[in-house]
Amino acid sequence: MGKDECKTMLDALNKVTACYRHLVIALGSTSDSQNLREELKKTRKKAQELAVANRTKLTTLLKDKSISKDDRAEYERLWVLFTSSMELLEVDMKRSLEIGQDFPLKVPTRHLIQTGMTGSTTTVAARAMSVQNMKYEADASIDTVDLKELETEIAQVDQMMEEMEMKVQVAPWAVEAKQEAGAELKSTVSVGNSSVGVISICEEEPKETVEGETGLMKVFAGIIFTAVLLIAGILGYLVINL
Amino acid sequence: MTINTLSQDGVQRQQMPCLTKMERMIISMQDPDMGIKLRNQRLLITVIPHAMTGIDIVEWLIKKFSISDEEALHIGQLFVKYGYIYPLKEPRNLILKADDSPYRFQTPYYWMSTRWPASELDYAIYLAKKNIRKQGELIEYEKECYNALHKRINHTWDFVVMQAREQLRASKQRRKADRIVLECQEQAYWLVTRPPPGTLDNIDYGPERRTMNTRVQLNAEFYKKEIEHNRISLARNRVKSSICLESYVKYCEQYQPHDPIMQGCLPSNPWITDDIMFWNMNSEAVAVPTKLRVECWSFSFMELLNDPMGRKEFLTYLEKEFSAENLCFWQACEDVRHGETSKIPEKVDEVYKQFLSPGASRWVNIDSKTMEKTLEGLKHPHRFVLDDAQMHIYFLMKKDSYPRYLKSELYKNLLARAIVPQETKKSVFPFMRRQRHSSPSPALATQTGEDDGKAKNSNSVKSNSGTASRL
Repeated sequence: MGKDECKTMLDALNKVTACYRHLVIALGSTSDSQNLREELKKTRKKAQELAVANRTKLTTLLKDKSISKDDRAEYERLWVLFTSSMELLEVDMKRSLEIGQDFPLKVPTRHLIQTGMTGSTTTVAARAMSVQNMKYEADASIDTVDLKELETEIAQVDQMMEEMEMKVQVAPWAVEAKQEAGAELKSTVSVGNSSVGVISICEEEPKETVEGETGLMKVFAGIIFTAVLLIAGILGYLVINL
Repeated sequence: MTINTLSQDGVQRQQMPCLTKMERMIISMQDPDMGIKLRNQRLLITVIPHAMTGIDIVEWLIKKFSISDEEALHIGQLFVKYGYIYPLKEPRNLILKADDSPYRFQTPYYWMSTRWPASELDYAIYLAKKNIRKQGELIEYEKECYNALHKRINHTWDFVVMQAREQLRASKQRRKADRIVLECQEQAYWLVTRPPPGTLDNIDYGPERRTMNTRVQLNAEFYKKEIEHNRISLARNRVKSSICLESYVKYCEQYQPHDPIMQGCLPSNPWITDDIMFWNMNSEAVAVPTKLRVECWSFSFMELLNDPMGRKEFLTYLEKEFSAENLCFWQACEDVRHGETSKIPEKVDEVYKQFLSPGASRWVNIDSKTMEKTLEGLKHPHRFVLDDAQMHIYFLMKKDSYPRYLKSELYKNLLARAIVPQETKKSVFPFMRRQRHSSPSPALATQTGEDDGKAKNSNSVKSNSGTASRL
């Protein structure tokens, strides 16, 4: 169905936007490298493909006059999601151009900001491109060459957004979100628990780290307790049987 | 579209110069040889590099710029305040401590920027992420912001939730140390851009100026206009600074005796001695003007016209010359220009009847071209319709009547009659001296009481305390 297709495409675009932002944050810092610039380029291109695909799909759906009111409301909601995603993407592209220009890689004295991030962003890029491993094949001057392409792409995106505004008449304020406040807390089991211990470390107060430790202690105590129970149960069984 | 706090002409916005300077200094701190010494931060199991202590920063600043301790500390504070460096131990306390408390550099994406102000959408995504991580345990003001944003950008709330989840999933792909750094960075950024209530807001973006055409089409037309504009700017008349400084010096020399602050004013400065003789002697309807005032009229025609007494004298002179209608016309035009909009048509009509119509009682001599233009314009009267005629008459008077007036007997007599006021004698008798201060603040009164304990004679103490009690 049109709606499901749209939703999956939007999800994909959303994922790529999030990954792109993550990559742009690493730009100019010590995680910056040749590979990062290439990752940015690839992610960007993928984002643009998805954007164009989304746009054509949604415009055809919205132009169709023969859809029901509910359908139309749903498509308008998807449209608003799409435009918000594009906004984020546009800002990130412009910023990556600016930061990329300020921090060129092929200069004798390279002064990247030492932010403490030293790992590579390969996995993030792989997630964005939906591949297992990233292949790097760009040449050494990617940072300058890519910037020119980036400028043209930004102009393209600008133009696309203008056209979108003109062609599709959707009133964003009339759209009602399906999720209410705090909706992200539900169904986020995978994301929530494992990171809690990690995050508490960078907060203030050493007592936070103590909390993490007592958590560990609790787990240990639990394991020991169950082990003791098991042993007691087995011994009891043996005693009863013998 | 969301409520876009990013101005549409985000590209044209300039980065504040102080921020550019700070950025340059931060980059110079990264130099492997001359930069700041960096250490590792140990957190339980993980080790994160690139941490520095507060004292390191201060010492580096002192060494690099040869400044004092205090100044280096102040500059360091600015870095922390604007978010280029963030503290690791107490993230909410954005100050620089010159001891071994750890700090770290902020990534360029999160640098303070007037070109890219943080948008509400971004803040909403950040709060949603925090909500997920903390399982709903947000700080009070964050909860309020969250609810407010939920109401305001409700139409993209689905996007906010989706994006928050995705961003968290993307960050999970990094290793632990990097994840910690990412979170600290983001938190520091939002503490600076959306400060908690009660803390100072560090940056003032100024009022949002939304231009009419938000997205300019970069086509041939636009560039043609730009070229034309630049060409006209190049051809603008420019005066060499040597010439304009010369005339500036001449002006200052000419006006210096007339300036009450530079030269002092006779009889005495009313603000100091509470004696309003100065104002009385220079008022409009005084019988005998002061010499300085009459001299001033000879400096320029505008000076003469701006002084009501000067204008009256000039009118008397013109009446003798039978050209008084010029000045009357000029005055009437001024009235039209500066008067009420609703009365303009009738005023213009009056002017026409009195001065411009053929056979008028006080007909002014304007050249035919200007007359034609004015008569055309009178059909649709507006505030500036009589400007050309007024300018013509003004220059006529300036070139013709004004120099003759300055050479006339009338003026010379007036100049001879003009008085130079006597400076008021400072009375020796102490109780007559009225040394009042212009701002009677209680703090001043108590302070003068203290100061007089150190120096001065007892008389001033008596008079000062007398005035203080009076106040």
